[in-house]
Formats: sequence, C-alpha cells, structure tokens
Amino acid sequence: MTDAATEPTAEPMSEPAAGQTRDLSNARDMIVCEDVSKWYGDFQALDGISTTIKEQEVVVVLGPSGSGKSTWIRCINRLEVHQEGRIVVDDVELTNDLRNIEQIRSEVGMVFQQFNLFPHLKVIDNVSLAPIWVRKKPRVEAEEQAMALLERVGIPEQAHKYPGQLSGGQQQRVAIARALAMEPRIMLFDEVTSALDPEMVKEVLDIMKTLALSGMTMMVVTHEMGFAKEVADRIIFMEEGQIVEQGTPQHFFENPTEDRTKLFLSQIL
Amino acid sequence: MSEFTGLGADLGMSTGTIPAVASPQTPKLPPREWVRANLFSSPFNSVLTVVSSLIILAITRGLLSFIFNPQRQWDATATNLRLLMTQAYPEEQYLRIWVSVAVILTLTGLSLAVWRAGSAVSIANVGRRLLSFGCTLALFALLAPFSARATIIWLLIAVAVAGGGGTLRRLADSERTISTLALVLIGLSGLVGSLWVVPYGNHTFELHRTPRVIAEPGTVALSTKFPWTIMLLIAVAAYFLGTYLRDRGSLNATRTTLALLWLLMPPVLLYLVLRDPDFDMGHVFGTDIPIFLACAVLGGALLNWLARPSTGEIGRIVAALVLIAAFATFLTPMRMIVRLDLLMLAAFALAAPTFSGGPRARRNYVIGWLGLLGVMSWLVTAVNTPSTIEVPGQFFLGGLSLTLMVAIFTIVISFPLGLALALARTSNMPIFRLLATWFIEFVRGVPMITILIFFSIMVPLFLPPGMHLSEVAAVIIGYSLFSAAYLAENVRGGLQSVTRGQHEAAEAVGMTTSQKTMFIVLPQALRVSIPPLVGHCIGVFKETSLLAIIGLFDVLYIARNVMPNQTEFMGSTKENILFVSLIYWLFCYQMSKASQRLEQRTGLGER
Repeated sequence: MTDAATEPTAEPMSEPAAGQTRDLSNARDMIVCEDVSKWYGDFQALDGISTTIKEQEVVVVLGPSGSGKSTWIRCINRLEVHQEGRIVVDDVELTNDLRNIEQIRSEVGMVFQQFNLFPHLKVIDNVSLAPIWVRKKPRVEAEEQAMALLERVGIPEQAHKYPGQLSGGQQQRVAIARALAMEPRIMLFDEVTSALDPEMVKEVLDIMKTLALSGMTMMVVTHEMGFAKEVADRIIFMEEGQIVEQGTPQHFFENPTEDRTKLFLSQIL
Repeated sequence: MSEFTGLGADLGMSTGTIPAVASPQTPKLPPREWVRANLFSSPFNSVLTVVSSLIILAITRGLLSFIFNPQRQWDATATNLRLLMTQAYPEEQYLRIWVSVAVILTLTGLSLAVWRAGSAVSIANVGRRLLSFGCTLALFALLAPFSARATIIWLLIAVAVAGGGGTLRRLADSERTISTLALVLIGLSGLVGSLWVVPYGNHTFELHRTPRVIAEPGTVALSTKFPWTIMLLIAVAAYFLGTYLRDRGSLNATRTTLALLWLLMPPVLLYLVLRDPDFDMGHVFGTDIPIFLACAVLGGALLNWLARPSTGEIGRIVAALVLIAAFATFLTPMRMIVRLDLLMLAAFALAAPTFSGGPRARRNYVIGWLGLLGVMSWLVTAVNTPSTIEVPGQFFLGGLSLTLMVAIFTIVISFPLGLALALARTSNMPIFRLLATWFIEFVRGVPMITILIFFSIMVPLFLPPGMHLSEVAAVIIGYSLFSAAYLAENVRGGLQSVTRGQHEAAEAVGMTTSQKTMFIVLPQALRVSIPPLVGHCIGVFKETSLLAIIGLFDVLYIARNVMPNQTEFMGSTKENILFVSLIYWLFCYQMSKASQRLEQRTGLGER
C-alpha cells in the first residue's frame, strides 16, 4: 500500500480497538471551528458552532433532519460558504482565496449521499482522474494506486465498468476510493448510507470502520446509531444549527444531560 | 467472398461486448393475423388503412409518372454532373479533386476500422430486407408508366431480388451474421462495377469553341468510371490498413492522430491541394519562417516555465500581461500574423496552470503550442498566397464542393466558438456572461441573410488597409458566428443538465474550475446535446443554399438558375431540383443516422 494517508502514524496508539475512549488530547488540531454561522436568506442554518477536531479523531454528527449537520460538514471543504466565524483546516484558514480552497479540498476527502460518481468515466478513471490532474501524478502510477484502492474497498474486478453498471453499495465504495486516492488527511462522510438498500449498508460501513481504525481523521454525518456507538470517539448532537450536546458514545447513549438529546434518543432507539 | 465473412467476424467480435440476453420474445404472428391485428382491428382502423394506402399509391404513381415521363430531360443532370459537383474547376487540374476525394476516403476507411464502426446483422434479416425491397420494386414496376416490355423486365428483376431474399431468409442459419460494412462494400462494388457494364450513356459537355452536348450510348466516360474504381480500392485498402493499425499499434495514439488529421484535412485540401497556391519563396523564407521560429522558441520557453507547478501566482500575472500586449498590438501597425500569434500565446499562457505538471506534461503542452502555431502560420501564409487555378467567377469551387466546403468549415469553426459562448453564458463572471448573452441575443435576432450580406459587402470596407479577405472567407466567418450563437444555446441546455452533485464531486477532489469543466462537465453536457447538435449541423448544411443570395454558385443555384438556361436544357428546373434534393437528403440522412449511432455508443456506460 503506497497510500500515505492510510498508514498508521508513527506514534504508538494506546489501543487498537475503536469505540473505546482514546486519549487524543495531545494530538494536534485538524479542524477548528470558531463561532461559525450561516444563513440561507432569512433562515439561519448554522448558529455559532464552535468545536475542535483532533488528528485521528472520529466524530459522528447526529441530529434530526434540517438541523444543519450537512451544511456544517459541507462548510468544512467550502462547498458551502460560512458567513461568520472562522474555520481552520489543517492550519489553513478558509477564506475566499482560491488557492486556499483548492489546497484544502485536495486534503479533505468527501463522500456524498448520492455517490456523485462521474457517469461518463470508467470506475478506474473515476478514481485516478484527480490524482493525475490535481496531484500531477504520472498516469501509470495513478492507475496502480487506483487499483490498490479498489482492492482495498473490495471491488477490483469492477475497475473497467461504468458506474451505472454497479450496485449502490459498490458505487459508494468507489466513491470512497475516489476520495482516498487524493491521499486526504481528513475524510467527510455526508449521510453516505442513506441512499442505499439495507443489505448494502453493511459493506459500506465496514470500509468506514477499517478506515477509522487506520487512523484517519473522520467526520461522519449519519443515522446509523450502531456505527456511531462502535466507531466514534466523540458524538456531536445538533439541532437548529447549534451544537446541543457532545461527548463520548457511552456518555451520549447512556446518560445524556440535555432533554432534547433524551427526546431524540427515545424517538430513534 | 471469404474476405467479407472474415470482415464480418472481425466486426462481430467488437460488438459482442453487450451480453445478448435472451428475453422471452412475444411469439411472431403469421402474416394474416398480423394484418388483422394491426391494420383491420376495428372498422375505423380499416377505413384509415384503406384510405392511407390509396393516398400512398396515388403519390407513388404520380412521382413515378413524373420521373419516367419521356419528356423529362434527365440528360441535363447526366451531362451537367461535373458542373453540379465542382462548377468550373478546370478539367486539366481535375487530378486535384480526385486526390482530395482519395484523402477523404482514406481517412474515412481508417476511421471506420480504428473506431470499430459498423455492426453485425443476421443474414436472415438481410434476406428479409431484400424480400421486401423486391416486393416494393414489383409494385413500382406495376405503377410506373412503362411500356409492356419494360414492365416485364422490371417485374422479372423484382421477382429475382425478392426470390433471392426469400431463399436467403429461409436457408441462412439464424446465427450467421454479416457486417454492415461488408454489405455497404457489396453495394458500392455493385455500383462501381455497373459503371463498367451497364450502358448508362456517355454524356459530356464539349467546351471547346462552340459548347455542345455529346450524348452517346454505351457505358459512362472513362474519366468517370476509372477514378471511382480507384477510389473504391483506396477506401478498402485504407480500411484494412486501419484494422492492422488498430490491432498492432497503440490504439489511443492512432485515434488521436486520426482526429488531428481530420481537423487538418479541410484547410490542407482546400489551400494546398485544390487551390494550388503559388508560394513566393523569398517571402516565405525571409518573413514567415523567421516570425514562426521566433514565436515558437520564445513562446515555447515561456509556456514551459508557466506550466511548471512551482511557478504559481506570478505565472497568472505574466499570462494576463501577454493578453494585454496582444490586444495592444492591434493599436499599432503590425503584421496580422504577429497579432494572431500573440493572442494564441495568451490563450495558451492562461490555460497553462490547468495543464501544469511534470516534464512529460510540460513537453506535451509545448508540443501542442508548436503544432497549433505551425498550422496557423502556414494557414495564414497559404491564404495570403494567390491561387494558380484560373476560373471565371469569384471562387474556384462551386456546386456541391462549395456547399460541402462552407458547411464543413462553418461547423468546425463554430463548434469551439459555440462551446466558448455557452460556457461564458453560464459562467460566474459577469462580464463574460453579459458579453455572451448580448452576442447570442443579437445574432439570434437577425436573419441569416442579413448577416451573409453584411459580411460579404460591408466587412471588407471596415478592414484595415492592406488586409484582404476573400468574399467566401468573409461569408464563412459570418456564417460561423451565426451558427455559433445557436450552437451555444444547444450546448447550454446540456450544461444545465449536469447535476449540482457532479460539480460538487469535482470540486471536492480539488479540481480547478477549468479542470472541472473540461473533464467532468463538458463531456456529460455534450453527450446530452448530441441530438440538437446534429440537428444543428443538418441545418447548417442545408442553409448553405442561401449562399446563392450573395452570388456564390452553390449546388442549388446551379440546378435552379444555371442549368435551365443552357440552350440544350431549357426549362429542366424540376428535374434538377429533384436531383439536388436527393443529394441533400443523402447527406442529411447519413448525418442523422450517425447521430443515432453516436447516441447508442455514448449512452452505453449509463444505466
């Protein structure tokens, strides 16, 4: 595996298993949000979000529909523009400067609910296109890396098909491989299993678990409570554009402090 | 015939990528029940069937009586074929025309092989087609106003065709297939072979001293049948060369080379082969080549530096400065070629960050620059060199060749222009958007005839002194601008069909706007726009007939105004128009079919 982003970092990790509280207090800050707000016209989508996400941390964002989860995660690679506050990703502040945006986007991988694969390109070209043109890798090297990634997500035999010929789960796995091909330091997952048939959810979640174990910094918007319990270092619960409560999975699922969180949990569990 | 089956097998394999899924077919009805179920299912349907059949029969009979009326002057078309194709192109230079046709056919043959055109059809199906063709032929023979003897001959031919088709259908194994290309080849060989055998009659226009028509019985003139035979052989040879290249060489390199050759073909044929320019070598070596070399070396070095990823922001500033310098040259007296070179360099410099990369990417980029610069320099030189072909009238081509030339040049020029306009109109930058919108709305609000007249009469008046633009060139520029405005609107529809998710996915992997446009948005937008784009191309081809208004001799003008005024063929307008419409239909129908095949091919990957 030549993929640098997936190699575990040199510093020894205290525990191999995810889900248990890891001590990340010494890790450096990957994403810093300070008082981030955003409006769509008169509607306030984000209302003073402040939090810090450490390197290697896996953060799961929960909350009812329309609570601003997706808007927030999309602000982090500037698919949406925040209007107030600061977002600093890997020590680069998000501003209107195009070079900053392009630099951050090539270091932040994103996987979408609707896959958004490029339908006119074969699977392998979907994965290798950005490394060739953005990272300026030689084509042969980029294709070798793409094949290695497809093997990692378990579908090397589909490399020369078009996305339309694949099942939903396979497409989402290609989308993950496409994001990983840029060797990102952070991965954003925006409700990646919501558009999948139930029997395909597991194959995608399994890959995300392996990724989390390999030490990737991840921010996951999802409705999969099992995944949140098992993999997350921290759970952030949002409503109406605000962070209502955050904490470890044990804290969040077993003894939440806020009434709103209790109501949410009683509705979904 | 073994080579044909070999050909068929070869092509059959290539289309075998789609798995043949045997779906449970609805059982075929026997003819009588089919007729009952589809044509006479209710009293109202029966009436409709009877009435429409009567109308079709009446129309067919009317058309056949018109065509085969002995008063028709079909020898007008037969005698004037050369006029219809090339107007007054001198006979002693006709080899140039044949060379051009040969080049086009060679490229066609190569492309058919390299792009694996054609599909396999089952022989039984061919038999069925022949059978129905024979039946139609028999019907025509009965309807046409032939003498009894001619009717019997035609009926015999029809029965032979139908019988052949019927036996083919019954005897052929349903698995056996034949390539459509092989069928086309059989048909074309039959046509070319018939030139040597069938007494079509030998029609010539004798131009020496007093023009007179010579019409002799027998096969067509040697100057017709011999070149066409050679052309057929060249096309077949090119096809087999193409299959060899496809299987032995690198496929992508061959395809790129072929696409470039297609793009180069129109100007090379027109300016180098057909026009036979009389180059002034002193000027070429003294001025043109030094300017080219200077631009090539300086531009190449600049672009090599700009395409280095480490150059960064300062590269964009330099590129903008080059653009300003290019515009500034228009304010001072200067050779046009220098201005054009600088403009092109500015475009390349602005696009350099998109294509930046390692030594290999940079080398490719500089090679692209050198190639385009070379073609443009040569083209400008060739255009400014007087032609040695002497013809009466203002342009050395006329008839179908003029029609085709204007259509091809217009489509080739207006395509990138239309793309640029569509992108500008959908861009985020207000200046581009506004300019593009105004241009499109203005051009679409003006009739095309106005634009043609404007460009043929007015534009030469506005040109700076010393710059000369031939009328045909001016008209092609005007027509291209007109066509680009419509094309832009077609492409814009395609651009809007690319979903927001595609834009976001491209942005999320860090692509710049130009990379996103080139690799993600445009390919998808163009695929959606294929049907309207081909419709547009058909329109461009047919509207070249408006060239007659500004005094150019296109094929329709010759048929309508020139041939009926020849003393021998007074009043042959109707026949000529019918013949010309057949020519137009042939070309447009082929474009339409090509569009359908293109849609099927490009749609393969989706869903």
